[in-house]
Amino acid sequence: MAELKTTQIVGNPHLEGKYIAEMDMWPLEDPALNRLYPFYDNMKQSRWTTTKCKKCGYISYPPGVACPNCWSDELEWIDLPRTAKVVGMTETLAGAPTGFDSPLIIAWLGFDKAHPLKHLLVRIINCQAGQLKIGDEVKFVTFEVPAHPMDVKKESKTCERVYYAFEPIKK
Amino acid sequence: MAQTKKACIVGGGTSVFGVRAASIFDMLQEAANAMSKDIPGLKPKDIDGLIFASTTAGRNSNSLNTAPIVAHRLGIKPTSICVRVDTLCSGSNTAIILATGLVESGISEVVLVTGTEKLNLPQRWESTFMNLYTNDHDWDSAMGLAVPPPFFGMIAQAHMKKYGTTKEQMGAVAVANYAYGFNNPMAQFSGKTLSLGDYMAARTVCDPFGLNDCCPVTDGASAVIIASEERAKAMTKRPLIYIRGTGQTASHGMSAGWPGETLADWPHLKKAGEIAYKAAQLTPKDIDVAQTHDCFTISEIIEVEELGFCKKGEGGAFVASGQIKVDGQTPTNTDGGLLTVGHPYGATGARQAIEICKQLQGRALHQVKDAKFGLTHNLSGVCAQHTVVIYGTEPVK
Repeated sequence: MAELKTTQIVGNPHLEGKYIAEMDMWPLEDPALNRLYPFYDNMKQSRWTTTKCKKCGYISYPPGVACPNCWSDELEWIDLPRTAKVVGMTETLAGAPTGFDSPLIIAWLGFDKAHPLKHLLVRIINCQAGQLKIGDEVKFVTFEVPAHPMDVKKESKTCERVYYAFEPIKK
Repeated sequence: MAQTKKACIVGGGTSVFGVRAASIFDMLQEAANAMSKDIPGLKPKDIDGLIFASTTAGRNSNSLNTAPIVAHRLGIKPTSICVRVDTLCSGSNTAIILATGLVESGISEVVLVTGTEKLNLPQRWESTFMNLYTNDHDWDSAMGLAVPPPFFGMIAQAHMKKYGTTKEQMGAVAVANYAYGFNNPMAQFSGKTLSLGDYMAARTVCDPFGLNDCCPVTDGASAVIIASEERAKAMTKRPLIYIRGTGQTASHGMSAGWPGETLADWPHLKKAGEIAYKAAQLTPKDIDVAQTHDCFTISEIIEVEELGFCKKGEGGAFVASGQIKVDGQTPTNTDGGLLTVGHPYGATGARQAIEICKQLQGRALHQVKDAKFGLTHNLSGVCAQHTVVIYGTEPVK
């Protein structure tokens, strides 16, 4: 008599403990998966960087592999100034998306005239609900996000990751 | 290809909008059934093109390359086009622009534009989580930007600060749209009334929004027919309604590219409107009735400004003085709008088009007297894209 099959096929990889890239809320940062990996590598050194076009001088955000202003692929990585001012803000006290703690504080940042960016929407961390005010200065900050597995030939590699947010500048 | 034909909207129908015990394919069939009652005699074999609008079909309903499946479920055998468009909240309005171009060029004769979303998933957390995938994932969504209220809340704060708009003025939008939606049998909030007192007392969603400032999470489907003038004439005894002009702008997918000086200024909507008005050979004053994208009360206030129904910054006073009511200057969202009908992204544009079609044919529930010209508008994403379509009882000469 044939052996009984003990593997239960549930049709839902989550229930088998598998990582699913389609459900991942963070970027896939490994050099094998994208060409903007210097952004993430720089972030691991606490640097906030983007690409500048060597042909036309345009600084794009997010960074890219071709310039959105002239489509040249001759780009260089530059450091962005890491402070900004809060122009607008909102606090989600309950019901933040899975993976984000409440209060989820999101701010609309304004940058000074010398900065390549004009506006940016960011998350504010290391901040209590009710603490942040419009006009406050905030600064770039990085944090670790969950690593994910990746097949490399017959092995599985762990891809470490970071991401960024902004935090209040202590007065 | 030179424009050789004129495109008309013939009619359409929707499923009931709401938290539905139904799949996208169930609701698409319901919308087709409603459409067949609106256009007696219309058969699946009359249709040569299908443009299907849905952003979440691939994710929430596990259905990628959905258009051929929709064609099969609706008994359509397309010969000119069969495609899905994915422009989130403007899906079926985008599809109407495409259908217009195909009909005007002679590639298609009769196009079914149908859209749907199933946004209420078995567990609430996933409905919220899914929204992380509708923004620029690696850049904005990773900041926690998922459901829209926080972003539009900041827009409202900016408008209040720059132009002095008040909570009561936002309430005027909610009260007007609930009054319109009250007797719309397809609306999620059909039969619900709202006073300004109720509005002011509603629980806070995020500053400055209360519950009634925000459109609900909705499942639904809609369907309309866009056809050549000749085929439209053969299909209906009602007055023909022509698509006179369209405009669509996309200025930024990610927050860093926001085109305005502040969040209260939407120059990309102004531009989309100007392009559509020019093509339609009309001005904002000519518009008798409008369906604008009231995902939030503040959205409608900014839209009446940028579409030119009032001066920039005066949207709050405009809505509060009753100009969006049926006897006002520009009756707006006369079927209840997103705020009360609900907003299954890809289904919304066609739902708006049906209301404008009915208004211009003189058969709307809240009929605007002698309406000749109507406008629909959607925004999508982080207010990244704006879509405007202008209709009339006469074609552009």
